[in-house]
Amino acid sequence: MFDPGRPLTGVRVADLTMIWAGPYAAKILADQGAEVIKIESPRAWDNIRTLIPPPVALGEHWWNTNFYLHEYSRNKKSLSLDLASDDGKAVFARLLTQCDVVIENYRTDVMDNLGLSYDWLREQREDIIVVGMAGFGKTGPEKDAVGYGPIIEMMSGMTSTSGYGDDGVPYKSGISYGDPIAGICAAAAVATALIQRKRTGKGQYIDLAQREVMSTLLGEFYMDWSMNRRLPEHMGTGHDWMAPHNVYPCAGDDDWIAICVRTDAEWEGLRRAMGAPDWAERTEFSDQILRWEHRAELDELVGAWTSSMSKTDVFAALHAERVPSSPVWKMLEVIREPHLSARGFYEPLRHPEVGIWSVHGWLWRTDGAGPCILAPAPDFGQHNAEILGGLLGLSEDEQSALEQAGIIAARPEGVPLASEMPATPSLL
Amino acid sequence: MSEHDQDQPDISRPFEGVRVLELAEGISGPYAGRWLAALGADVVKIERTTGDPSRAFGPWPDDLPDDETSGLFLYLNGDKRSVTLNLETSDGREILRELAASAEIVIESFEPGYLPAHGLGYDDLSADNAALVMISISPFGQTGPNANLPATELTLYAASGQMWLTGHPARSPLKNGGSQPSYQAGLNAFAAITSAYYGAVMHEQGSYIDLSMQETYAAMAEAFHNRASQLGIETQRGGNFLHALWGVYELSDGYGGICALPRNYPGFARAVDLPELQEERFSDPGQRLVNNDELMAMLFGWFSGQTRQGLLDLGIEHRVPFGFVASFEDLSNSDHLQGRDFFARHDDERAGSLTYPGRLWLSSGHDWKMGRAPLLGEHNMDVIHGELGYEREDLVRLRELDAI
Repeated sequence: MFDPGRPLTGVRVADLTMIWAGPYAAKILADQGAEVIKIESPRAWDNIRTLIPPPVALGEHWWNTNFYLHEYSRNKKSLSLDLASDDGKAVFARLLTQCDVVIENYRTDVMDNLGLSYDWLREQREDIIVVGMAGFGKTGPEKDAVGYGPIIEMMSGMTSTSGYGDDGVPYKSGISYGDPIAGICAAAAVATALIQRKRTGKGQYIDLAQREVMSTLLGEFYMDWSMNRRLPEHMGTGHDWMAPHNVYPCAGDDDWIAICVRTDAEWEGLRRAMGAPDWAERTEFSDQILRWEHRAELDELVGAWTSSMSKTDVFAALHAERVPSSPVWKMLEVIREPHLSARGFYEPLRHPEVGIWSVHGWLWRTDGAGPCILAPAPDFGQHNAEILGGLLGLSEDEQSALEQAGIIAARPEGVPLASEMPATPSLL
Repeated sequence: MSEHDQDQPDISRPFEGVRVLELAEGISGPYAGRWLAALGADVVKIERTTGDPSRAFGPWPDDLPDDETSGLFLYLNGDKRSVTLNLETSDGREILRELAASAEIVIESFEPGYLPAHGLGYDDLSADNAALVMISISPFGQTGPNANLPATELTLYAASGQMWLTGHPARSPLKNGGSQPSYQAGLNAFAAITSAYYGAVMHEQGSYIDLSMQETYAAMAEAFHNRASQLGIETQRGGNFLHALWGVYELSDGYGGICALPRNYPGFARAVDLPELQEERFSDPGQRLVNNDELMAMLFGWFSGQTRQGLLDLGIEHRVPFGFVASFEDLSNSDHLQGRDFFARHDDERAGSLTYPGRLWLSSGHDWKMGRAPLLGEHNMDVIHGELGYEREDLVRLRELDAI
């Protein structure tokens, strides 16, 4: 029975990705129903497992528990396999015959160095779809540049557009924005290649440069350069024709609300929400153009109103008048935000060593779909027996021999249990 | 050339022969439609009779506003066909239903509830078209207490939690430049459509998708929301720095920076080549965090002596995550990007010579169209007369009734 919420059911993915961009892509594929097998070496595991050591990472087997890992690898299976060894590679070759997709976000040269070139992959399975997600792509003079999200953001033009405007300093996003953007696009690339394979019977190689994907979110800036040789000015939280259009301080600790007025009707709504103060009748605020010209004074007056109230009370008053607005939700707030909660956006995730916490569920909601999260991120090597024995038909003796040789393992090599670890300062 | 290729000469693009109806305005839906068009789909863009409002947003050549030369519109609508329809008229709605009958994919971004109230919801359009994939893109989704709350880029940035994380810790939260809430939603919509359409092709069964811009953006809050939900820890915005090895520094000719994980440290120390970096108080990951301020002060000095290109080259040489804050001038002139055929180049009759991102990825199995955007209503005749069979006199009547 086809579940339209999981349209990639029946697709098997060999997931060689690490850290964020690649795992974000493979997360989407897994949420969409693909069987995603996360493959990590006992000596070169997904670095995210151990990036945040105890006491932040909970539990004795802390490489299986941290929140980063579970954010990106829920709904996946784990196979620990050393692809650098001949025997590990032979197992991988057998697995490939039963996979549709290989996805990786290594540095440009790593797959070839491992002997896992597209040609080799295609020898194992002729119609394989391979997606490489190197930051700068697989060709060109900058192909060997290395970068995580903020580097991608800087090199895409994104960072040049952001700043307060009064100090000339460009600002990066608070997140590693380049990573999820590349991940979403890579998931789309996989689906596109699957559609193409259905039509032609052929696989393909996709060279997806994270920096290029991010740059496609900035089209109007390229156009302004083409048309007028003009580079973007930093707008802060202001706007080139809306006013009010800003974040305003509210009562509370670092509490803010965003308010925007696009039309006279929305201005009337804001006026009513503020209790129709006399100053709002002044002629210099009587239309959009005048309000924009007097925006500095307007911001002060609106800010004086918001700063006496909680951001939720300001929001309630503006919501009732249909004025575009939103509290600047903090992380502890957004996970309990009433609208997201009403839609069931965050779902419970259960792990035996940690208990229950909430993570985001569906990125988009398909009519009739059930819960998104069917399983937490897999423990390291959790599905070795299922995949090696069940899928590939390796005997228990053969599996033991692989384990003896260190080609598969139940835990990352050299990583101590939490109770064996000295206390260290944490990255976070 | 194989026999297969001879039988199907158009197979070089995965969506060749697929009809997409784009009932979407602004950025998000058109961004998704743009890539489907570039991958070969016949994207029929339904515009209100006054045009997609993005036609009224700049940039324009020489700052002269013109509905046919908006840089934003031209970027987002390449290779589509434009048909004007007034859905407030019964004729307009009827034409839309006829078009939907032959569509595989519908993208819409009306206010939640609008299309169903006009007899154009998924149930109506899929009644005789079970494999139809339809996606609704809206600020807060189709359901819930905020579903009909109007939104802007700024309010969505705040509502998703992204804004809290961005900006200097001692200043107000900051918005990214441009229209990221809309663009990221468009990219998510593109992924949703391709995935759902694959399911529809395999199973001849369509689906209806509700995409909330707030949700797709909130999902990117890195692991900061997990950190809140698993550990109860709030995250403060850090401006341009997470720590000394993760931040944006001033260079001698602009800005650039480093984003290094602990495993990148040896390469970093080689590239920077300051003797202090070999000392344990910096080389040990734990002690490095304790001595972060000292390290950062040292690096402010070091970065201020670097140039943007020099820093990137050094990163390539030592395999260190260095980069610089690139401008659109840098990018438009980049040998690397040009050599990878990243740009569409178009000499537009009205808008002049344009260079802009023309594809998402490179593929060994398909290519990308990089054609121009349509004029308002340019394809009314082809589609309404040529394909749906309305007579020319009908077009006159429809125009006079303000239906097209």
